[in-house]
Amino acid sequence: MNSVEVLSKLKEIVGKDFASNKREDLFIYSHDPGASIPRPVDFVVMPKTTEEVQKIVQLANNEKIPIVPMGGGLTLSGLIIPVKGGIVLDMKRMDEILEINKFSRYALIEAGVTTGKLLTYLRENYPDLQPPIPDAPPSATIVGNVLIHGSGYLSQRYGDYGGLINGLEVILPNGEIAKFGSCALSDYWFGRGPIPDFIGLFISAFGTMGIITKLSIQLFAKPKKRDIVFGLMEDPEKIPDLLYKLTAIGIAEDVLLGMQDKPEWMKGYVFLMTYITGETQETLDEQVKILKKLYRKSGARFMKAPKKMHDLYLGRPIFAAGAADYRKGGGFEYVGAFMPLEKIPDAYKKGAEVSRKYGIPPTLGSRLIGETHTIVMFFSYSFNRADPKEMENARNALHETNKLALELGGIPWKAELDGQKLILEKMDPNYKYLLKTIRNTLDPNGIMNPGNWEII
Amino acid sequence: MTSEAELDWKDIIHRCFRCGYCKFTYDYNDFNCPSYKKHRFETYSTGGRLWLIYGVINGDLQWSENLANVLYSCPTCGNCMENCRFEKFNFLLVDMIEAARAEATKSGFCPEKQKVLVERATNPEMWNPYGEPNSDNEALKKEYDLPDEAEWVYFIGCTSNYRQQNLRDATLRLLKKTGIDFTLVDEHCCTSPMLRTGQVDCASDFMNYNIARIKNAGASKVVTSCAGCYRTLLKDYEKFGADLGFEVYHTGELIKKLLNDGKIKIASNYDKVITYHDPCHLGRHMDMYEVPREVIKQIPGIKFVEMERIRENAWCCGAGGGVKIGYPDWALEISKERLEEAKETGAAVLTSMCPFCKTNLSDANETFNMGFEVLDLIEILDQLDIEILE
Repeated sequence: MNSVEVLSKLKEIVGKDFASNKREDLFIYSHDPGASIPRPVDFVVMPKTTEEVQKIVQLANNEKIPIVPMGGGLTLSGLIIPVKGGIVLDMKRMDEILEINKFSRYALIEAGVTTGKLLTYLRENYPDLQPPIPDAPPSATIVGNVLIHGSGYLSQRYGDYGGLINGLEVILPNGEIAKFGSCALSDYWFGRGPIPDFIGLFISAFGTMGIITKLSIQLFAKPKKRDIVFGLMEDPEKIPDLLYKLTAIGIAEDVLLGMQDKPEWMKGYVFLMTYITGETQETLDEQVKILKKLYRKSGARFMKAPKKMHDLYLGRPIFAAGAADYRKGGGFEYVGAFMPLEKIPDAYKKGAEVSRKYGIPPTLGSRLIGETHTIVMFFSYSFNRADPKEMENARNALHETNKLALELGGIPWKAELDGQKLILEKMDPNYKYLLKTIRNTLDPNGIMNPGNWEII
Repeated sequence: MTSEAELDWKDIIHRCFRCGYCKFTYDYNDFNCPSYKKHRFETYSTGGRLWLIYGVINGDLQWSENLANVLYSCPTCGNCMENCRFEKFNFLLVDMIEAARAEATKSGFCPEKQKVLVERATNPEMWNPYGEPNSDNEALKKEYDLPDEAEWVYFIGCTSNYRQQNLRDATLRLLKKTGIDFTLVDEHCCTSPMLRTGQVDCASDFMNYNIARIKNAGASKVVTSCAGCYRTLLKDYEKFGADLGFEVYHTGELIKKLLNDGKIKIASNYDKVITYHDPCHLGRHMDMYEVPREVIKQIPGIKFVEMERIRENAWCCGAGGGVKIGYPDWALEISKERLEEAKETGAAVLTSMCPFCKTNLSDANETFNMGFEVLDLIEILDQLDIEILE
């Protein structure tokens, strides 16, 4: 088929208004807000149903056209920009919350449901339940976030969000619909086992294994009260010990750390935010006392935060996009890296060095995931999109930071193409062999986001 | 476009990160950008538009019919300005889209349907975007026994004068009842349709003409029943360097003032359930939310119920920014969503304070057989007894 015929077929599948190869649409979908250089897109399509996705994938497979699924488009690392052209499948019209199971505490949602929509829906209809949502803007999709090992304000207590997936409906590269998790044999999407667990195959695969159309995500009891206990420390070396002790007492819902050179008053300190929860104010007051004491004994001190700051960080979602406006230039990307906790002091020290080398004021942060089993480190680079030199600096800093994360024993998160290459270079050959074999078996025509996780 | 923005918008437009807050309602439950909600491609969000405009500025894109179409399919409702979190940037979003429309026009890409607005308004037999023969308003002056000079000018606005004469006449009767010293002038288009659609070349001439007419009538105050005229007179005339030399009131403000100053009193009941639609050009653009509500609350017998999306979070009627003339079916779809929301309140009357909103809401009410009585608040007041207290 030529491109006119492909477009015509796509319009036949999704309706004339939801498939396009207009230059303006292709322009927008060839960019993301990160530092990636734009890459060409041939078609943009917005399906509404699983069946439409199935037909699109069948068409792509028959015609050997690359296909790239997209949620909120906010990974910042270019994962939704095709490497080899083809179709961008913007999933945001599939935006139904299909079921909330109160007792088994899960939400069954379509792939395009935004974090904002699920958050508000639960707040209004199930006020005693809360969803795992990231710090990303409310336009991020739940599915997009959890499928990249997303994390957020429930990660410290419950682990990374990829682990909170109960079940998936997937369009495989050959166009078949498959279900994974309990939904493979039950009407209830309550869990992943006890059967062989294939769900991990689709997490951080960046659309290379299939296209997720429905997903069940765990929900959690929502405590009546939530507060933040801010702390300050001057010596990053003391972070591991402090967090080890902090998690041992089991009261932290979320733990965030930050270190940045700007504004000036923040320079030289590590900021600590421990989120605590409870059913009564008395419980919270007691927890504050315990944390103040723990901070003091661990080389930190309690910080009384201004109300504005306090309220900002208690908001859901947190207004993290503010970080993108630091340079007033509309550009922002960061290396997130899953790290062992003991390497965090080095990560802060060396991350700051990378930033300074590229003339970017250090802006570093981290969040605990699943007590101290993992900590995700953020090395943030804000830049001016209108300044090619700044963009180049950001790209170089990102690349160097990916290398740093790997050297420290960590793994870059939702890595852009260059980061993926670095990961693959270091990966156990048999892991790579299995990955390649599975992928080639599922997708012999190589249509699923080709160029990502490309194992030669 | 503010003078600050005029100088700087091309230098800051790339600040948009496309985080997507601009698409939402306050609580993120739904999309509140009519254009994004309709098209769903990122291209049709405010962020998408800004990135396209920046693409033109830096040479990655050239003007085209479709690019212009993306820019013009925005009712300039300002929801994006309310929800964008980037300070000292968010208030410019609609200005930047309008400025880019002006660039599109300069480059020959103003869509044909929107061009008609200015072709008609600049026709010396019309001076209005509706293509009606110009009314010099002398007949109305005679009918309502208005002087040649007065303290106030009622600036009728083209929509009221040529499409919503009921509102015009209700306003004239109400103003007469209140006893204020007012008159009419041979007004021309206020320029709102020109500015909103980027056809700005002749705007200054129209502004200077209208100002001269108002001054010739000896007026120190202007009152208008049109949200579009109100925004344009108060915000845009100054931006174009025009020196007003008179105060500008919306009819809602004038009535509220007269009520609060104890000069008039509403002396009969309005025993109906009503809800109020915030016009974008009065609300988000001019920050006027309480005035109409305060007036409504002073009407005896009325039962006032609010819709879910109100004030800064209101859903647009879909008429503004050249959308009604450019995309008439879509404009009605947008209004239909508003009427459905109004239906949930149980109100029988949908009121607003903008003749253009009234036109579009009424059209949708009729097209989709929604069964509302769609009335401007002034038309409701006109049905009531007004007592002059001093």
